[in-house]
Amino acid sequence: MSSSKQKTAGEKSWNSRSVGAAWQHRFFYGLIRFGGRRVAYAMLALVVLYYVLLRPDQRRKSEFYLRRRFPEAKKTMLLLHSYRMSLALGKSLIDRAVVGILGPSSTQVTLRGREELLSLLDEGKGLILITAHAGSWQTAMAALDFLQQPVSLLMQREAGDIDRHYFEHGGRECPFRIIDPSGYLGGALEMIGVLKAGEILSVMGDRMLGSDRNAVAVDFLGAPVPFPFSAYKLASATGAPIGVLLSAKTGIDRYELRLARVIRVPAGLRRGSAAFVPYVRQFAETLEDYTRQHPYQFFNFYDMWDSESAAWPAADPSNNKE
Amino acid sequence: MSIKESLKQILVEELNLEDMTPEEIEDDAPLFGEGLGLDSLDAVELVVLVQKHFGVEIKDMDEGRPALQSINTLAAFIEAKRVA
Repeated sequence: MSSSKQKTAGEKSWNSRSVGAAWQHRFFYGLIRFGGRRVAYAMLALVVLYYVLLRPDQRRKSEFYLRRRFPEAKKTMLLLHSYRMSLALGKSLIDRAVVGILGPSSTQVTLRGREELLSLLDEGKGLILITAHAGSWQTAMAALDFLQQPVSLLMQREAGDIDRHYFEHGGRECPFRIIDPSGYLGGALEMIGVLKAGEILSVMGDRMLGSDRNAVAVDFLGAPVPFPFSAYKLASATGAPIGVLLSAKTGIDRYELRLARVIRVPAGLRRGSAAFVPYVRQFAETLEDYTRQHPYQFFNFYDMWDSESAAWPAADPSNNKE
Repeated sequence: MSIKESLKQILVEELNLEDMTPEEIEDDAPLFGEGLGLDSLDAVELVVLVQKHFGVEIKDMDEGRPALQSINTLAAFIEAKRVA
């Protein structure tokens, strides 16, 4: 890919800056503290209604995904889908704050795949957990204590992102080691160190962080989307297995955390993005399954299918066999 | 062949440094960014290549950051690890 086609981090089409002012977030934290989750949900329903009906700029952000997920939907249905998706995101953020403010016991997390996760970790090569902006990954991550290994998280936080992570409520110590993708060599050496120590590395598999060069386009909901492949490269280099871990809200105070797939990336793959297409595709397929089961809990509010995706490294049919 | 010469050959052949021969790589040129232009994924690859060709493991950031500055620093790191 020519450098002219590469976007810089500053030109990327999404950001993690929060919707709403800091006082509005504090208002919701107060509602949770004094009224509980249901009161916060009730206020949220009104706020989301305002955004969906009167802020078309915000509504449009949900429609990139919704038009792919519900291709048959007309204007009114899209409006309804947008409301449900935005409401689900709001509930996810409230649930995250609830865990922080009222404690982890306020939310029940059911884990599917516990034994398999332990067995993957027992291989002694570290474990890469690929998650996505779906459900409430922070709520889910709080349920991984049983693995009894330090968890390092590749996480970028932008200026203007005022959402508190769950551990920031009440001044708790961060339970994860944060690796900054904008740090030295994109955090690559730190990530290698984590895996060589047999520990857990968690990365988001559905959004680009850092240089767009490390992406490969595979089909997702009918058209190519660039997904990052650095995690698959790390797996190939270290022998670490990959577990795709996705969470979903299943009740007012319940989440399910599921080991949705195990991806094995062989050692010694040849250089270049094309070699990683089959493994990234496995992730994309798993994510598609997730959107079929939980259509309103997939939270990417930007155009993942941007036409520039076509300029990404194309899937090479000769590399498509697993 | 010295460690430095081997490293240069590995960089050119296995990291596909286009339009560059081993002889053109300067011993003190930065490996990443402005120097040879390697990136974070190349760093992962380089760690694997060093282990494969020299039997030397770069375990973490503390070891890797000073070692992966240039051919000079990487060769010195490999030499020191082999002696230890």
